[in-house]
Amino acid sequence: MKIEILGTGCSKCNKTKEVVEKVLKNTGVTAEVVKVEDIETILKYGVMITPAVVIDGDVKIVGKVPNEKEIQKWITK
Amino acid sequence: MTEKAKCDCCGGNIAIFPCVGGSNVGQLSNKIAIELEKEGFGNLMCTAGIGARASGIIKSAEASDRIIAIDGCPVNCASKTLELAGFKVDSHIIISELGIKKTKDKDLKENEISEALEKTLEVLKSE
Repeated sequence: MKIEILGTGCSKCNKTKEVVEKVLKNTGVTAEVVKVEDIETILKYGVMITPAVVIDGDVKIVGKVPNEKEIQKWITK
Repeated sequence: MTEKAKCDCCGGNIAIFPCVGGSNVGQLSNKIAIELEKEGFGNLMCTAGIGARASGIIKSAEASDRIIAIDGCPVNCASKTLELAGFKVDSHIIISELGIKKTKDKDLKENEISEALEKTLEVLKSE
């Protein structure tokens, strides 16, 4: 599983990465977490507002930090 | 156009969806949306992406505080596309109802651009 955190480096983007990594650790799920700050890559997903989380190419959330429950649902589906 | 993804830390996200239809007013809807974005009014987003249910566009629209649909004519393709995808359109502009006649000409006229932009801003600022 590949989890991309899209964001240009703001506090919400950093917080998103922290929460994702925390949930991965707690659930024992293995995933490659990549922080994407490159605007061209962000736009390729059609994302216009950050932060955003993309899991295996599918945009899960845009514009806010996801909560742990949401992340857990996405990664254990 | 400078491409950007707005950080939500800045707040106040407004999504602008033009119809970009095959007429003068359809093309004007896109031009007006571009000008509104340049003026800092909101983010131009892809209406076709809503129709295609592109996850990034759908989620970006969901994350917006306000949605503006700009249609060229009363066929209302942009606003209907948004509504069919489950979005509530907060502001709806129809270019042909701003005094610009719909034609098949795709070359935009400067006077029509400025007239449509001025009237669109009037409507949006009055809401």
